[in-house]
This record gives sequence, C-alpha cells and structure tokens, in this order.
Amino acid sequence: MSSVALLVVLPFVGALVALFGKLVRAEPLLSVVSTLPLLGMAALLVMQFPAVLDGAAFTYSLGGWPEPAGIALTLDGFGWLSSALVVLISTMVVFASFSSRRYRSTYFFFLMLLVAGMEVVVLTGDIFTMFVGFEIVAISAYVLIAFDRTDEGLLASLKYLLLSSMGILFFLFGVFLLYRDFGTLSLRIMAEDSATTPVAETTSVHLAVAALCVGIGVRTAFMPFHTWLPEAHAYAPHPVSALLSGVLIKISFFAMLRIIAVFRATYLSDLLLWIGAATAFLAVVWALAQRDAKRLLAYHSISQMGYVLAAFGAASALSITAAFSHAMHHALFKSLLFLVAGMAVQMSGERDLYRIRPIGRRAPLLALGFVVGALSIAGIPPFNGFASKQLISSALDHHPAYALLWITAVGTTASFIKASRLVLWRRPAGPALQTTSVMAARRSNHRVPVPEPASAGVMIHIPVIVLALLCLATGLFARPVSLLLASLLSSTEVGAFPAAAAGSAAGTGTAVAAAAGSIPATFLSGPKLLGALPVLVLGILLFLGSTTGPGIRLAGRIERIMPELRTILLYFVLGLALFAIVAYL
Amino acid sequence: MAWYLIGAIFLAGIWGLISLPNLIKKVVALNIANSAIILFFIYFGSLSGDTAPIMGDGAGTPVDPLPQALMLTAIVVGVCVVALALGLVYRLYQRYGTLDIREIERKVWRRDE
Repeated sequence: MSSVALLVVLPFVGALVALFGKLVRAEPLLSVVSTLPLLGMAALLVMQFPAVLDGAAFTYSLGGWPEPAGIALTLDGFGWLSSALVVLISTMVVFASFSSRRYRSTYFFFLMLLVAGMEVVVLTGDIFTMFVGFEIVAISAYVLIAFDRTDEGLLASLKYLLLSSMGILFFLFGVFLLYRDFGTLSLRIMAEDSATTPVAETTSVHLAVAALCVGIGVRTAFMPFHTWLPEAHAYAPHPVSALLSGVLIKISFFAMLRIIAVFRATYLSDLLLWIGAATAFLAVVWALAQRDAKRLLAYHSISQMGYVLAAFGAASALSITAAFSHAMHHALFKSLLFLVAGMAVQMSGERDLYRIRPIGRRAPLLALGFVVGALSIAGIPPFNGFASKQLISSALDHHPAYALLWITAVGTTASFIKASRLVLWRRPAGPALQTTSVMAARRSNHRVPVPEPASAGVMIHIPVIVLALLCLATGLFARPVSLLLASLLSSTEVGAFPAAAAGSAAGTGTAVAAAAGSIPATFLSGPKLLGALPVLVLGILLFLGSTTGPGIRLAGRIERIMPELRTILLYFVLGLALFAIVAYL
Repeated sequence: MAWYLIGAIFLAGIWGLISLPNLIKKVVALNIANSAIILFFIYFGSLSGDTAPIMGDGAGTPVDPLPQALMLTAIVVGVCVVALALGLVYRLYQRYGTLDIREIERKVWRRDE
C-alpha cells in the first residue's frame, strides 16, 4: 500500500485498536498502543520529505479506480505541511492526555478518529470525500468537546453540532452545484476545467464556491461564524482544547484556501481580507474582557485566525506564505498555551483568572512554557509570532485593514499580561469583583469535573518543552523556515493562487520566487525590533487601563454579551448572505 | 417545478432549525434540510437516464450512478450526526427537565440568579 494511503489508514487502525480497549484488561496499555500509528505517520512524512520538497506529488487511487469516478489521495507540499502539523500537534496532545488517568480507550478512539478525519480532509483529491472527512472530524470533535459531560460542555457541543451541521448542509449544496456544472467531483479536474473553460465564471459556480466557503467557514470560526468557538474550546477537556485550537481550525482553513485556489475565486479576496481584519480586532476586544482563562485563549484563537485570513485575503505575492506561516506558528504557541492553561486550571480547580492560584512556583517549567507562548502570540521578538506577524505586515503592505491588525496586536499584548496571572502573579487582591458578571454568578457553584492531584505530572512537561523550543526555533530561524514553507507550497495549486489573483498567467514557480524574494533577509533587524516597542508599551498601558474601574465595568459588560443559539444561527444566515452577495456580484 | 419543491423543503428545514425552540424539533428540522439536499442529488441523477445502472439488457440509457452512491454516504453521515445530536439532547433533558433551548441556556449560564 502506498505511503499516501497509509497516512489515512494508520490512524483508523489506531482508532480500531482503541475501540476494543474496553474488552481487554490491559486498557491503559491498549490506549498507548492505539496512539502508536502517529509515530508511523511521522516516519512516513519524514521519508517522503525530500521528494515532496522537490515538487513530487504522490497520488493514490483508492481501489485502483481512475480519478473521475474513483477517489484519489494526493500528498504534495501542501498535503505534507498540513499532515505534518496534524501529526506533530496530535502527538503532543497525546502526551498531555497521558498525564491524566481520566482519558481511557474511548477517548483515544475519538482522538484517533479525529486525526484520521483531518488526514482525509487534507489529502483527498475530491470534494465529496472532503465532506466525509469534515463530518468524521466533526462527529469526533462533538464527542470530545462533551467528553467531560459538564453542562457547559454538553451545551457547547450541541450548539456546535447544530451550527456546523447547518454549515455542512450548505457545503453539500455547493458540492451539488459543482457536480451539476462540472460533471466531476475531482478538485484537480475542476481546476483544469476552470483554467480552460469559462464555466468557472458562471454565477452558479460562484455561488457554489461561496457555499463551500461558508460551510468550511463555520469550522474555521471567522466572524460571523465564530460564535461556537469560545464555548466549545473553553469547556472541552484540556488536551482536546489544545487539539481543537491548534489543528482543527487550521485544517478547515487550509481546505478553504485550497478550494478558493482551485476555483481562482479572487472575487472573495477582499471580503476575506476585511472579515479577517474585523475578526482579529473584535475577537481581541472580547478576549480582553474575559475572566475565564480558557475562554480568553479561545477568543485569541479566533483573533489570530483573523490575522491568517487577512493575510490570505491580501492576495499578494507573500500572502500564502504569510498565512501558512502564521497558521503554523499559531498552532505551536496556542496548543502550548492551552496545555499549560489546562494544567493550571486542573491544578487549582478554578478557571477564573482573578482567583486561580498561579503555578509558577509549583511547576516552573510549565510557567516558563506559558511565558514563551505568551511572548510568541504577542509578537515579541525573537519568538515565532514576531516573525509571522512581520510576514503578514509585508503581505498586507500598508493596506488600510492593517491598522486594525496593529490595534489587535496591542490588545493581544494587553490580554496576555492579564493571562500571565495564570502562572506568575501571586494570588492577588484583584480588582473588585463584579457580582453581576456571568462568571461571578457562576463562580458560586462552579464545578471542575474530577479532582486531580495538585501537581503536574512528567508527561505534561514533554509537549510543553517541545512546543516551547519549537516556538523559539521557528522564531530564531524565521527566514529559512519561511523559505521552506514557500518552496513546499510552490508546486501546489495553492501556491499558484497569488499569480492567478494578480491576473498574470505566470507559472507556479515564478509566484513563489516572487514570494521568496519578498521574504525579508532578516527578521531581527534594528528598526523592526523598534517597531515592536510601541505595541508593547501601548499594550501595557491598555492593560493598566483595563484594571481601572471603568475598564472593569466595560469588560464585565462585554463579557456578558453571549449570543443565544438562535442569534448564532441568525449570524450564520447573515454571513451566508454576505458571501452569496459578494460571489454573485 | 420539482426543483422549487425541493428548495421549499430545504428552506422549511432551515427555518425550523433556526426558529423552533424545542431541541427535538430542531434535530428533526436538521434532518429535513438534509433530506432536501439528498433529494437535490437524487433528482438531478434521475434526469440523466431512464433505467437502473445495473448490467442488464442494454435497453435505454442508464442513470448516472454517482449521485446515488454519494447520497448513500451522505445518509449514513446524517444518521450519525442525528444520533449524536439526540444523545446530547437527551443528556441535557435529563439534567434540566426541559427541551426548550432558551431555558437550558439560561440555566447553564445561570442568568436567572
């Protein structure tokens, strides 16, 4: 069996092993065995790396059927990068899951199923299989979110289910329109057709692409489809939060990127750029107002995905590289942050930032990891957030929307000063508590499900240290890393998109050559370091402002704005209409 | 005409999903909308021929078998989602004794305190 097929089959095998975990006495052992396929996948990816870097694309036709009817799996630079991200973060999350005895074979069954679904989404060559992959991902995600069976978790899972099922209906409708117009489901054939025939310029294809983007947009959680994310990511079990925020939203983003590239949907670029900037800005405002540690991180996931989306929407030579590199970096530091925050919440049995006992003294390495993550997300040199934000600012190139992103950076800094309470500050006197705030109301009988030992295990240290080192390494060696990204993407349909967006008929190679040329020679030059300074200073000022009386009142007011399910679904319809109108015009 | 009817079924499902407060009805509405999408595919497929796409006497044009195959998969996926949704609804009902999403949300977030 070819290596491409193995990448999909292995996690399914792992899930199958875990499924029988209940039957045997050695259940913990079986849980470990069920995660071993991740190692096999990592080995496969390493083996294929040189060939993929040379621009090779491995294709495997399922069951030997040729492509128009059969299902093709393709591993090219894009698939390699996405798979590598999935395998890396999942492995880290598996380590973190071993640190708690709560997670048994059922948990690992759904975890491996989630990994398998994500592999299907990134490797598949046809759009209906992508739908199936998305549903595998979604079903396992719903179960994992509700896994602790807390009230919030159950409700968050149900809300996510209803919203994203509605999204996927429109996705399926888009698939229908495309099948009607192209007569095939293969993305490759559709890409060739839309390059040669004018069928891609018909209104119905435009609407189909918009429907696909909306369906995936729910999973990617940009505004106005973001509403499920804070609750789902905040009330999921801690390792699952890291997986959801680290990988899941990226995978759906990559899928969207691929669909837009295949259909050369340049008409969506401006919309995505502005949605991205608005998402980044608004989400950071909400993040700043949160008292719940994990909700704060969840809002930052939305905000950072806004950056990624804006970079992609800029459709400049650099935009693909910038978007990918920020998505990758965000995966690293956000899973790191979620793992440490989850551990801190678990150790002190408290989610409220103002009441939590900082873990700095009890688990200094974890605290250090959190600080690295916080510095990365705030874009402080020399960590990786700084590098990818540099790329984004070059990609946007003084576009007016960049002002919003700049303000977002200030807000990010401020809210991570606040979040550092989790690890650094002593139990504070804290600002006066708002009895009317939602969190305060819930604090009275707040449950953190199972009391856990008050010390961090060894297992949690492994992923935290690895991720923190990766954050530092990708920041220090930002230029080689982004060049690598650019060359991996160069031969793929996604890499060809900027050229298509610019309206030039240039081949794929030139677009990436242009991108490589515009990657700054050094990310750590003097003027750029100085550029980070005002953000830091303003961030500190903003943080101090948010601790004053009016600041707290405002934060409490913002925090209490929590849309109900009906509002969430109406937002969805609004977003759908927005995409449809833009695609129609 | 059939297209408009299927479209109407789809919109009815979406409307129910958004505006009915009862969670069971929401799940049913989701199923209805899903069925409408399936009908879209099946009806489109049925227009492409007039006999079953099974090796036979060769009379008539066989229909395009792909939409049917796809929709079998979509139905299975849909059943999984609905089963899971009903499971979640049941859990919430056990805890709160109501199926009204507004009430459940109020209770989970303890807005009434």
